[in-house]
Amino acid sequence: MSGTLSSENRAEPNLTPLLDMVFQLITFFMLVVNFKTAALDLNLRLPVVGSARPVESLAGDLLVLNIDKEGTLKVYNNPIKGMDIPAFIAGEAQASLLAARRNNPKIQPGDDLPTTVIVRADKETPFKLLNRVVSSCQKNGFRNFSLKALNRKQEP
Amino acid sequence: MRRRRKKKRRGESEVTLNLAAMLDMAFQLLTFFILTFRPSPVEGDVMLRLPPPMPTVVSEKAEEAGSNEKNTSLVQGMNTLTITVLGSPNGSIHQIMFGSDTPIAGLGALDAKLRATFGDPNVAIDQVILQVGSLLSYDQLMQVIDVCTRQKLPSGDRLSKLSLVEAPQ
Repeated sequence: MSGTLSSENRAEPNLTPLLDMVFQLITFFMLVVNFKTAALDLNLRLPVVGSARPVESLAGDLLVLNIDKEGTLKVYNNPIKGMDIPAFIAGEAQASLLAARRNNPKIQPGDDLPTTVIVRADKETPFKLLNRVVSSCQKNGFRNFSLKALNRKQEP
Repeated sequence: MRRRRKKKRRGESEVTLNLAAMLDMAFQLLTFFILTFRPSPVEGDVMLRLPPPMPTVVSEKAEEAGSNEKNTSLVQGMNTLTITVLGSPNGSIHQIMFGSDTPIAGLGALDAKLRATFGDPNVAIDQVILQVGSLLSYDQLMQVIDVCTRQKLPSGDRLSKLSLVEAPQ
């Protein structure tokens, strides 16, 4: 067993370069952190459409709706079952209307809402279940839709 | 400029910062960011303006079409085209109908038919109603939407006005 070293022989590593490197890594991760992914359900398998291109700047408010193949709507990972979907969409439409009134005070209930609805549905979702969500959005004034798809097949 | 070196005075103790605590905290932050890091997938968008489905034949427009003797096409004079896509129980495309009664062999044939339709400068169609079978999967629906949104209208704009409606059983 080694005994306590005397003050003359104590080895003190220089931690400054290590700390520099760690701070650089932290800065990197802080810059690339994307809070938008919290709204996405990454378990969904999106369809592959060759002409789908990423749109960098979607104007206005966004409403992200994840729909799995059983037709369950997921918003920030909170599942919303079939019967509750119209009420949820109506609530979102109300919120969108209030937000839109800040820019355009003349907007009335029933007018087209400026919010873009982003639909992320599993590729096996039957149209019947998808249409339940889309038609509910249309009834509440949403007109702008962005259907999400991959433009090439992802590796499993 | 000449640098002035500070001479160490004899007996003066050197001040050293203990970086270990800061390093511990930095490593904890780093671990947090590494564990919560999930790169977002690169997803494409198909931007659509989806108005609620309207009746296909507007009476005034239909009269206009009927009054035009040169018009032999059913869809001419109306600004909406209906495409029916029915699905099979496994979600694939079972049948495609162009207009009310023209069966289409597949997506390639649909593309060709739409190209021919929109290539005619007299056609006033600017909206497509997709009448979709309840069993059709989202994947197959997107293939049909892809074919539609690739079309250029006689005005030069891309077709982006689509309506989705569930086909009657």
